[in-house]
Amino acid sequence: MKARRRVVTSRAAPAKRRPTVRRIKSAILPATRRVLPPAPVAPTQGGNGATQRQVSPPTAGRDGNRPATDQAVDLSVDLGRGLVLANPILVASGTFGYGVEYGDVVDVQRLGAICCKGTTLRPRVGNPTPRVTETPGGMLNSIGLQNPGVDAVIDKYASTWSRWRVPVIVNVAGESIADFTEVARRLDGVPGVAGIELNISCPNVGKGGIQFAIDAEAAGAVTAAVRRATELPLLVKLSPNVADVRPIARAIADAGADALTAINTLSGIAVATGRERPLLGNIYGGLSGPAIKPVALRIVYEVSQVVDIPVIAIGGVTELADVLDYLAVGAVAVQVGTAIFADPTLPARLVEELAAECRRRGLDRHAPLIGTALPKRAGPPSSKGVEYRP
Amino acid sequence: MTTTRARDPSQPTARAPASRLAREPASIRLAGAELLDSREILPGQWLQAYRAPGLVAGARAGQFVHVRTGDYSGLVLRRPFSFNTIDPVAGTLTIHFRTVGRGTEWFTRLRPGDRVDMLGPLGRPFEVDPRTRHILLIAGGLGMAGVRALADEAIRDGRQVTLLFGGAGARDVYPSSLLPDEVEYVVATDDGSVGHRGFVTDLVADYEAWADQAFACGPLPMLRALAGLAASRRRRLGVASLGRKRGGGRPIPAGSAQARRRAFLQVSMEQNMGCAVGACLGCVVMSTAGTPQRVCREGPVFASDEIAWEGGW
Repeated sequence: MKARRRVVTSRAAPAKRRPTVRRIKSAILPATRRVLPPAPVAPTQGGNGATQRQVSPPTAGRDGNRPATDQAVDLSVDLGRGLVLANPILVASGTFGYGVEYGDVVDVQRLGAICCKGTTLRPRVGNPTPRVTETPGGMLNSIGLQNPGVDAVIDKYASTWSRWRVPVIVNVAGESIADFTEVARRLDGVPGVAGIELNISCPNVGKGGIQFAIDAEAAGAVTAAVRRATELPLLVKLSPNVADVRPIARAIADAGADALTAINTLSGIAVATGRERPLLGNIYGGLSGPAIKPVALRIVYEVSQVVDIPVIAIGGVTELADVLDYLAVGAVAVQVGTAIFADPTLPARLVEELAAECRRRGLDRHAPLIGTALPKRAGPPSSKGVEYRP
Repeated sequence: MTTTRARDPSQPTARAPASRLAREPASIRLAGAELLDSREILPGQWLQAYRAPGLVAGARAGQFVHVRTGDYSGLVLRRPFSFNTIDPVAGTLTIHFRTVGRGTEWFTRLRPGDRVDMLGPLGRPFEVDPRTRHILLIAGGLGMAGVRALADEAIRDGRQVTLLFGGAGARDVYPSSLLPDEVEYVVATDDGSVGHRGFVTDLVADYEAWADQAFACGPLPMLRALAGLAASRRRRLGVASLGRKRGGGRPIPAGSAQARRRAFLQVSMEQNMGCAVGACLGCVVMSTAGTPQRVCREGPVFASDEIAWEGGW
């Protein structure tokens, strides 16, 4: 099978997109969602004139604003259904709260998008502590999807989000297909909610979550159900805790997802100092950070060859080289997660660095950097995964 | 350096409405801090002074900083440290820590002049009632780092301070030379090598009637025992608690600064921490109301009756 990259930047015509998906959900009206809400805030770049083009919507012809010395770089990423990110640097779910926590330390408007903390239908108190611990080159967490429930999230944060230029993608978790669809239904049409990221792969909750991500049929079923429930752009987050991720990715794409995000955390444990018990209150945690980057690279590499929808990479991004690596194996964008804890300003800085890198290479957009390390034809099936047993 | 930005007041800000964030702490800054002095004050325990003027301004006892290590390859998390002392005039702060792993060992290798990246001030401070005259501080081991700054603050405000300290043995006892002269310092050690032989909680009985408010930081069993003493204090001693009018007035929401000021005992809690700004929900403690409270945001200081001491998950 010939791998076809369908990376649509603002320069490509958005009309001829995704035939696979269109066929399946013909009943769904084409996207008529607002593109990006007009910015009520004054641009806050201040001294950073170099990034003005990236945060402006790609359609806005603001040539007058551009410094004459700099070549304009278009970093925008179209994820479908009107969700156009100003740049390919997102912040990963669970590491950035609801976008308000870092306050003045981070200028959220410079991010490509914010994926908020995992949200469920009903409030969840999460797992017992300790919930986080550092491991070599990474960290384990088992928060257990603590959140106030979808209604409280909408009530508390949606109005703030609706005043932001940066799209907020709500990460949705659940124990059953009914949970997922109900949360999606309640988020549908809420101003300030730009999309949904289905967390079908949280390794830290006993009931629900993971089983959807380790079975292609279940993953496809939940995606299709949510697809019917909402008009919102739909991202689905893949789990690395599977033997072969490709059938699952294909099933999700065929069921109508607009994009895939890869990967969620790897399941792991740590031992307490006295060695009399496991360290984490929940015993199992999810490993994230630079330690998992090779695994994430493999999965993005494999997945981007078998699906036509955009793939967003997550896993140990700490510097520009990591972003370029993920783009090379086929990701259209990356999410920064654990590294935010050490350096909250990293995502915004990566945007500037990526633009500078494009300029250095004489590119006016980052699309040519995507997929350069992919083979010309699809590779043989993977046998490198490990079977996951909860 | 990303700190606060000047805002055009005519423009709406990108923040949540003021009412929603009213209880959020004063602005967090990300600032470079220069190491001025580093000393091993006890075996394995270090006291380091940093200059970080922007960060120290407005910082209060009980709050903390989240400091990045220079070893980015292996250590992906910052390390939280309580303000041990705060000097807003000189723009300096000190932190006190024990070397427990690679992160804290990295800090001991810093030399004066080296710079680290600090995030702070974080969390909510100890709340002292304006009418409080007598303050009882209770520190267990490294818990000294949590309550030390409050001794300075209280003495500056003209209050009397008694500091009860518990440690394993003589080699763990915080040097009295590092405390203000005005503090009455009472020590208990497990082996009796200095002061009272036994737990620091044994000493509380002599002071709990004298004290108007108590503030504690230390191991969880110590805090749990103190919370038990505080809960039964009124019944045992028959003392009036501060400023509680019978009936009348609006109820004070639990967890508010006002409620904490009226509690006899405030505790500074410890948990493994990720982001330290309330985003990751890694560092929670269970409240008596059944909702997890973030140590980094609602804490690290809590009124002792806010916390479900037996867990609750």
